[in-house]
Amino acid sequence: MGHRKIRNLVLAGLMAAGTMALSGTADAAGASDAMLANTCAGCHGTNGVSGGPAIPSIAGMKKEILFSMMQQFKDQSRPSTIMGRIAKGYSEGELHQIAAFFEKQKWVNTTAATDAAMAAKGAKLHKSKKCKGCHEENGATQDSEENMFRMAGQWPGSLYLMMKNYQAHDYPNAPKKMIKRLKKLSDADLHALANFYASQK
Amino acid sequence: MANLTRRTFIQAAGGVAAVGLIGAAPRDAAAAKAKVVVLGGGYGGAIAAKYIRMADPTIDVTMIEQDHNYYSCPLSNAVIGGFRDINVQKHSWAKAASKHGYKVIHDTATLIDPKKKVVKLAGGKSVPYDRIVVSPGVSYKYGDIEGHSKKISETVIPHAWKAGPQTVMLRKQLEAMKDGGTVIIVPPKNPFRCPPGPYERVSLIAYYLKHHKPKSKILILDPKNKFSKKGLFEGGWKKHYGYGTGKSLMEWLPADGGGKVVSIQPGSTMGATVVAGDMEDEHQGDVVNIIPNQEAGKIAIDSGLADKSGWCPVDKKTFESKLHKGVHVIGDASIATKMPKSGYAANSQGKVVANAVVAMLHGKDPGTASYVNTCYSFLTPTHGISVAAVYKLKGGVISKVKGSGGLSPGDASDEFKAQEAQYNESWYGSIMSDMFA
Repeated sequence: MGHRKIRNLVLAGLMAAGTMALSGTADAAGASDAMLANTCAGCHGTNGVSGGPAIPSIAGMKKEILFSMMQQFKDQSRPSTIMGRIAKGYSEGELHQIAAFFEKQKWVNTTAATDAAMAAKGAKLHKSKKCKGCHEENGATQDSEENMFRMAGQWPGSLYLMMKNYQAHDYPNAPKKMIKRLKKLSDADLHALANFYASQK
Repeated sequence: MANLTRRTFIQAAGGVAAVGLIGAAPRDAAAAKAKVVVLGGGYGGAIAAKYIRMADPTIDVTMIEQDHNYYSCPLSNAVIGGFRDINVQKHSWAKAASKHGYKVIHDTATLIDPKKKVVKLAGGKSVPYDRIVVSPGVSYKYGDIEGHSKKISETVIPHAWKAGPQTVMLRKQLEAMKDGGTVIIVPPKNPFRCPPGPYERVSLIAYYLKHHKPKSKILILDPKNKFSKKGLFEGGWKKHYGYGTGKSLMEWLPADGGGKVVSIQPGSTMGATVVAGDMEDEHQGDVVNIIPNQEAGKIAIDSGLADKSGWCPVDKKTFESKLHKGVHVIGDASIATKMPKSGYAANSQGKVVANAVVAMLHGKDPGTASYVNTCYSFLTPTHGISVAAVYKLKGGVISKVKGSGGLSPGDASDEFKAQEAQYNESWYGSIMSDMFA
């Protein structure tokens, strides 16, 4: 059988499938990156710039990091209240599309007021507790190898909750040393660190 | 003719009739001065207007909105519960309109003429459109309960199902009620705006009574035998408000247990005698909150966009009305199959319709739609619960993606509940910025 003949058979098959599926053909093409990512904006804000204290901004996050976090929410290796339930609604390919969309969006610093005294205490902890070794540039650095996202200018409430959750729950994919150090910190320390990173713009 | 832009052609041809004439023809980017009207600036409309402009800033978008300020329904039960200021619920369109370049006309739309492609306003103006997005919310069927009326709802028995003055009125009535009083809450029949809303309201009124008027109680007279997030609400009521014990702050009478309200005799300033059930039992309410049965917003009904059910049938891919071409209906007023009538659903539909309207004006296929709902409720200020789902279109039905979404776990820890309460607040912050920034 020649190539052309095979191709014609394939085409005939596709046409038959197309006729049967009818309205299903558009669905098979898949939603665009923006269509998928815009469904997140109700909670994470337009283009991933969050408007709320406890929900993080995800604009400008490296796509590998965001993809991996969503994938971990989906397989529940990253504990969550609601993100696990939502991430399960998207295929791996769709999660890649969503991550690619948000990587292209511009980071915007939080508008939340930060406490100067707490931020100063947080700045000391950032050094003394060795956060600084990895979270360079006062938390502005992102590293996709380590799933390390930007903390500088992030909503302090969301940073506090993330650290609190690292203390309370099991995160098999998180750096063990970081977890060990985090677990030694008091609640006031966590608030101080959250204020410090949030105040970095 | 070839050298004329679309706008000059319309002007040259003398307006409205010409719009319809070329409305059906595919357009390209150069044919860009298309006119879109968005009716209603709420959870659906504010998003549709902004996202159309974000996708194609050459499209002329005009929002028609009757109110000068917006009060968000979501989170307004916290105002009724006494731990949130009504002003936190208040927003206006000016900032988003200027940033994204859409116009706002503050007037009431009285009729859409889908043949002439114009919408008539109470102020006398007619606004032409190429496509119109209708996001009018709900209207209330006061007549389903004998003795009830719009006037009664504005003076004695607030529904507080559109946030604003009635939210404040219900709060003040609770403050004025004596300790030992009875609050009667009457949820509506399905389908209605915000399915968990009446039960969140019960929770937060109970929260107020527990701390300020502990001898009082709430009687729920329900025309239904079950309700949204029922297990989670009842679990929370048991935990916080003694539900199911002799000291319970609330009692729920389902349809089969005498819950169907037949008639009311309103008091002079607040409260009513409420008659319910087959036996026509009389219940005295010191504060009465009737959330009336609902149908699509008046403009949708008056313009022939609703079917016999009182809601608007639409193509789920584009939200274009199945009854009138060129008219799209989103949010509470539309029949969105498996999606609930929630703020987040309207937000998500606002984005789907924005994408569809832009594509269709350019003569393109809108592609595949994706939809989400995420909805939080408070049991107390520090106990939140949620329901979520991701949807795709399957055979004309907006269906939940298998395995996605669902409710908060019933056995969630206190820490989990506290985080969900915080996420409820943050949900509000983000969705408001999505609408108004």
